[in-house]
Amino acid sequence: MSKVIGKRVTRVEDARLLTGQGKYIDDIGTPPNTGHVAILRSPYPHAKIVSIDYSEALEIPGVKGVVTGKDVHPLLNPFSVGVSAPVHYYPIAIDKVRFVGEPVAVVVAKNRYIAEDALEKIKVKYENLEPIVDIERALEKGAPILHENVGSNIANHRTFHYGDVEKAFEQADKIIKHRFHFPKYSATPVETYGIVAQYDHSSDSYTVHANFHGPFVLHSIMAGALKIPSNRLRIIIPKDIGGSYGIKAGIFPYIVLCSVVSRLVGCPVKWIEDRQEHLAASSSCTDRVTYIEAAVKNDGKILGLKMKMIDNVGAYIRAPEPACLYRNHANTTGAYDIPNLMIDAYAVMTNKLPTGLIRGYGGQETYFPLERIMQIISDELKLEPAEVIRRNLIKKEQFPYRTASGGVYDSGDYEKAFDLLLKIGKYDEFRKKQAEARKRGKLLGVGLAVIVEPSGSNMGYITIALTPEERKAGLPKSGCSEAATISMDPMGNVNVRISTTPSGQGHETVASQIVSEILGIPHEKINVVAELDTATSAWSIASGSYSSRFASLGSSAVYYAAHKVKNKLIKIAAHFLKAKEEDLTIEKGNIVSKTDPSKSISIKRVVGSAHWNPLSLPEGMEPGIYETAYYTAQAEPPDDQDLINSSVTYGFVADLVTVEIDPETGDIHILDYFTVHDAGKLLNPLIVDGQILGGLVHGLGGAMYEELVYDEKGQFLTGSFMDYLCPTAPEVPNVTIKHIETPSPLTPLGAKGLGEGNTMSAPVVIANAVNDALKPYGVTIDSLPVTPNKVWNILNQSKKQEVSS
Amino acid sequence: MNGKGSVTLNAGIEKAWEVLLDPEALKNCIMGCKKLEPVNENKYEAEVSIGIAAVKGKYESTIEIADVQKPNHYKLVVKGEGGPGSVEAAGVVDLVPIDDNKTELNYTYEAEVGGKVAMVGQRMLNGVAKLIIQDFFKKFNKELAKSEQSI
Repeated sequence: MSKVIGKRVTRVEDARLLTGQGKYIDDIGTPPNTGHVAILRSPYPHAKIVSIDYSEALEIPGVKGVVTGKDVHPLLNPFSVGVSAPVHYYPIAIDKVRFVGEPVAVVVAKNRYIAEDALEKIKVKYENLEPIVDIERALEKGAPILHENVGSNIANHRTFHYGDVEKAFEQADKIIKHRFHFPKYSATPVETYGIVAQYDHSSDSYTVHANFHGPFVLHSIMAGALKIPSNRLRIIIPKDIGGSYGIKAGIFPYIVLCSVVSRLVGCPVKWIEDRQEHLAASSSCTDRVTYIEAAVKNDGKILGLKMKMIDNVGAYIRAPEPACLYRNHANTTGAYDIPNLMIDAYAVMTNKLPTGLIRGYGGQETYFPLERIMQIISDELKLEPAEVIRRNLIKKEQFPYRTASGGVYDSGDYEKAFDLLLKIGKYDEFRKKQAEARKRGKLLGVGLAVIVEPSGSNMGYITIALTPEERKAGLPKSGCSEAATISMDPMGNVNVRISTTPSGQGHETVASQIVSEILGIPHEKINVVAELDTATSAWSIASGSYSSRFASLGSSAVYYAAHKVKNKLIKIAAHFLKAKEEDLTIEKGNIVSKTDPSKSISIKRVVGSAHWNPLSLPEGMEPGIYETAYYTAQAEPPDDQDLINSSVTYGFVADLVTVEIDPETGDIHILDYFTVHDAGKLLNPLIVDGQILGGLVHGLGGAMYEELVYDEKGQFLTGSFMDYLCPTAPEVPNVTIKHIETPSPLTPLGAKGLGEGNTMSAPVVIANAVNDALKPYGVTIDSLPVTPNKVWNILNQSKKQEVSS
Repeated sequence: MNGKGSVTLNAGIEKAWEVLLDPEALKNCIMGCKKLEPVNENKYEAEVSIGIAAVKGKYESTIEIADVQKPNHYKLVVKGEGGPGSVEAAGVVDLVPIDDNKTELNYTYEAEVGGKVAMVGQRMLNGVAKLIIQDFFKKFNKELAKSEQSI
């Protein structure tokens, strides 16, 4: 069998997806007597619920029931979350609403039309309270408090000192600091949340179909909220999920809500979220204020960094938050060799939508201030930005590189990738062109950003939110387990079961490539089953589709499961052929001896024997071919010094973007986007480039278009795609992708995750390019998105300064 | 959101005042008004159906008249809630006589919306407010004419 891993194999998923035969949550059908759910949501950001009168709604023919917070309260525990602040979060408001869009009542009716109409008949009396939306005001004394029992709006606060920060700042020639604000934005998959939930009274158990994609650590949290043993909450994930980009982790409160509603109303229920609900009330990334200070030498070398990060987690801190603050903890210093680091991390609650995973999770928030300050350093020291980056990049010979905060960068050659970037992006040439253009009054700019892309989260990182003393009270948490099961039926055909709940990334294709190469079976003949069923699949707390973990972990589980199968086949063949196992190899569907070609047996026969004639197997061997492998990479819990290697593999992304700004309108035109990636060994370059483009466009949204806007009174203003702008095909710039491959020594295939790199880098590299173009105006872009409106205001307000060029 | 404006009414100030505070006339003038009933002297309950952007629906409102300085000045406080969200608005009306048959009406208003109407209608609100006000005074002048005839 020729090699298929690493080939541009077309996706096995596409035939069904392109012919309308995908099996999404809305396609799976419903049990008889299913009621349809519509949710009444709060129009106020902060208010007490005085009363809810739904008597008129119940009178509408076809309405099966109405459920409010008061009804579910006795049946639920608040969701547990990994911070010590006693925040009581339920999937529906109990006595107070804390954000616009928070569920207040649920109607179940014969169909969705009736349910929606019935919502209008529910009368809720509110007593308005003063709202708070500003991150820093939420920290001030006297600010309105969302959760009285917490006593402040701070959900989590931790301070970290690594190396000798004070000394670094003493030794610096200059200290350069700035404040940055990163916006709150969404993920907008084509398919919204969807749930079919059924309570079974006789067994006191719930069966839920939902397009949830993990992390499955949330399964325990859901079962805990429902007050049931976790094996009585069976969650089944459909084969196809219509995109997620992280946001579908945030469906879990609705799974609990629909489950308990099914129980109270006494019928199965189905809920498909609409687009307005999705924008207002699903999940989002955090908005973050960062104060960053860099201690620098005059040659651009950074000795130390101080970062105060304040994450706005919205109205309730909910799992896995405050992970956005800590997912990038190990790689806070990015691609740079900076041994001294101070981090002051806050998660604050305000009257906005609660947050969660969004592609890049914490990366864009972290790299925006870091890569912006790199450009500011070069401006202040009058050095070329490329030179300042190069001076600080981790060198090839430093790998595996230990970061200040405990990360272990597994492999890389950052200088080589960066040099390649400057070459393909014709950096020096563009600088000349830019100088020429400036003379003619044209505004051209070039931006650079280099980032480290973590993948395969170490489940221990979330416990960094607790102090070492608090951590000692619980079980240490570590690892990043994933599982896969491979079976062969009596005819010798292969089924592969994966637990990575793909939402369009092509896991079925890559899994089939891996199994094909190891078992010597054409990949088209391998059936990959991507449905996950918590009652029957092999899974663990880390399972699911997030943190770009398929390439690093999911694929490794498939790899080891395939090897278990191969080993068994070889053992059986060795027994039949009276050959040594190490002498046998798989070739074109047969197991043959490398030394004696006459010794050969077909795989089909070997597998057939395992099923039809188990007594012929070597003594002690189990019949059948059914192997499950659980895999985890080395991922330790945080230590007493708060050192944590928060991810398994660390890829590298270097971006160069050129822009032209229209001084009349403020319009930003991206001339070219160059991106160089190092994600170790690529498993399927075709899928890789698709992932990179998708991630890049999401980052472009964060850079230039997307923001969930709230006014100062806490009203949500971007509830439709008319108001919340997403980039579409015409907005996508020319993108040139190049790869270098430094294999990870930690994964069996040498692969690293890569789905999120440009989501992390695009916002800042575009901001850097715009800032560079506006350099004659002496301004600083310190918030996103950079819209024509913002640029136009800058152009009109700033006095043009002469630049010495 | 806030705004202000001025219109000329085809009636003397006393007449204009009378019709402005006549619930039946108001009901006919407010776009989408299905019901307007007095609860007490200066307070009404109203039901208004209106569409803003994609958000159509019914608001149950209270309209309070305050700060009355007959026949020159009053304040309207409107609070509405319904399927599409919530509206709170306050308007100040000042009447200035021009001659026996003409009165100048100056108004200012402030309005806040919440819920769905804010989420998807925010961009449209100023335009919609202008439309509703223009429509109001167009109909109002007709009401004035009607009331002249009936004398």
